[in-house]
Amino acid sequence: MKVVYTVALIGNPNVGKSVIFNNLVPGARQHVGNWPGKTVEKKEGRFHHKGVEFKLVDLPGCYSLTARAVDELIARDFIVEEKPDVVVDIVDASNIERNLYLTLLLLELEAKVVVALNMYDIAEEKGYKIDVKKLSEQLGVPVVPTVATRRQGMEELKDVILRVAEEAPRKPRIDYGKEIEEAIASLSEIIHRDEALAGMYPVRWLAIKLLEGDEGALEKIKGSECENELRAAIS
Amino acid sequence: MSVKRRLGGDPEIILAERRYEVISEILRAALVKGAKKWTMTDMLDKVFLHKVLGIPVFIVLMWATFQFTFVVSAPFMSIIEVVIGWIGGLFEAIPNEVLRSFFVDGIFGGLGFVMVFVAPIFFMFFALSILEDSGYLARAAFVMDRLMFKLGLHGRSFIPMLLGFGCNLPAIMATRSIEGEKDRLITILVNPLMSCSARLPVYVLVAGAFWGSTMYAGTAIWGMYLLGIVLAILMALLFRRTILKGEPAPFIMELPLYKVPTFHGSVIHMWERGVVFLKKAGTYLLAGAIILWFLSSFPWGAEQSYTYMLGHVLEPVFRPLGFDWRLSASLIFAFMAKEIVVEALGVIYAMAGETAIGAALAASITPVSGLAFMAFVLIYVPCLATIGVIKQETGSWKWVGVTVLYELILAYIVGLMIVGVGSAMGFS
Repeated sequence: MKVVYTVALIGNPNVGKSVIFNNLVPGARQHVGNWPGKTVEKKEGRFHHKGVEFKLVDLPGCYSLTARAVDELIARDFIVEEKPDVVVDIVDASNIERNLYLTLLLLELEAKVVVALNMYDIAEEKGYKIDVKKLSEQLGVPVVPTVATRRQGMEELKDVILRVAEEAPRKPRIDYGKEIEEAIASLSEIIHRDEALAGMYPVRWLAIKLLEGDEGALEKIKGSECENELRAAIS
Repeated sequence: MSVKRRLGGDPEIILAERRYEVISEILRAALVKGAKKWTMTDMLDKVFLHKVLGIPVFIVLMWATFQFTFVVSAPFMSIIEVVIGWIGGLFEAIPNEVLRSFFVDGIFGGLGFVMVFVAPIFFMFFALSILEDSGYLARAAFVMDRLMFKLGLHGRSFIPMLLGFGCNLPAIMATRSIEGEKDRLITILVNPLMSCSARLPVYVLVAGAFWGSTMYAGTAIWGMYLLGIVLAILMALLFRRTILKGEPAPFIMELPLYKVPTFHGSVIHMWERGVVFLKKAGTYLLAGAIILWFLSSFPWGAEQSYTYMLGHVLEPVFRPLGFDWRLSASLIFAFMAKEIVVEALGVIYAMAGETAIGAALAASITPVSGLAFMAFVLIYVPCLATIGVIKQETGSWKWVGVTVLYELILAYIVGLMIVGVGSAMGFS
């Protein structure tokens, strides 16, 4: 059977996400519909690179991934449930500080992230010097500088998408400091006791979300044998 | 002890803070914020956001906007007038006298006369669209907000205020983005002072009648918009110091990059806004024309009509301002929509067999009273739709009452001041 990798595009609003989508998939081959049961638009399309086929899914633009906003929940559920082979996180290089927040949330989700450092020209105009290699090392994921409006960096982006799709997940872990890490560890320990639950979701992510009191995460542990224990731990 | 309690604090907030700390650590290693390059945006902002020059630049650009509106729309107004006059002329052939008067004096004299002002309304929206699409209007709001903030007012009210140039309705609804309840209330109460496009036909008619051939017409119109802004700020200060005391919230504003506006984009913006006037013409103003024609023809003809009687009853009230009975009557009807001032004058003059309304107007009142009339129309009572939205957004008739009352008093005082200063300077 021919392999088709699923690639999700995500990013804050106004970072040039749709420009990148259009660069990767020509307009004629785009398919626009709605997310099931939602009025939020869902855009999909296919492209080929080096003989491999990719299905590209445009996720709603969002600043974070809580269960409170429909857009954010759609994006997050897609990553958790559908487990795309690659998640391309488009970062506005000229607003890198705010944009990296979403990147960290994606890493928590243990998604196979590729960072497209877009609007690189505007960042340079602002006088930003970004050490791409260092940034990539710190985050633990590949980083590709792009200027989507001028189609710069698109071939490199496709190369990296292909590479990441074919390699094993790296699961880089961001250290949140002793106290939080301890809390995450003790919750993770309880989650691991329910093998089915631990197999279904990234354990560390579920622990973090439970700690935050996230509605969606509480929904997911419903009916688990360790539900009561978890609820007690976060009470 | 539960895991959560051991953390001490809301884990959601602690985690968010930690994430930002992590980002700072990462960027400390990977990002150098070097010397900023000098961009076009910086250069333009140096001028447009300048501490001293910012406001004069805004005022000059506004002057250019209204000068453009008046001068460019003039030939188009003549064309529309000729076309409507020609079609109206066809109805002169109706044998029945009442029916003929209904069409010729009511529909074409009233509604047809207002339609002439489609031209200035569209050109004003075109000019405003260019200012907005270029990114300048956001700067104007910023400059004005900075001033308001220094005066102790809310520093994020000016976007809703600028929206008021189009229509006060969406402008008042846009105040929902203002956080403090008192700040929001003040912005709502003074918003009707921002001169909406419905008042433009009145200005164009009066200014055109007196100063049509000179630069002063555009300048007088500009003066009305400026007067509206100044009064809005003064009234906001008054409210802040009296019934709505409080401290303003600090303000932060994200400014868009400058762009060269496209002709296509500005035309679309102009159309979207201008079409509201056309819709109004088909509803409110059509109904207005019918009612006005009825009131101006019955019970016993134009010289003994309801409008005539109403105008004469009110004339003494407005005598100090120099308004004649026609202007006095038109003000009463215009609480529905301010364009109706123009429509009413159209019907009243048409009933009297007068077609050159501008000239007739200039013959019946003094230029100073004309200016006072423009200011009065600017300030006195919000239109019916605006009253509705003030009630809806403040949730009480009390604030509607406050708005109507202060505006009536203010309109009269400003009118008197214009007449007083005008006479003292030797104009009569």
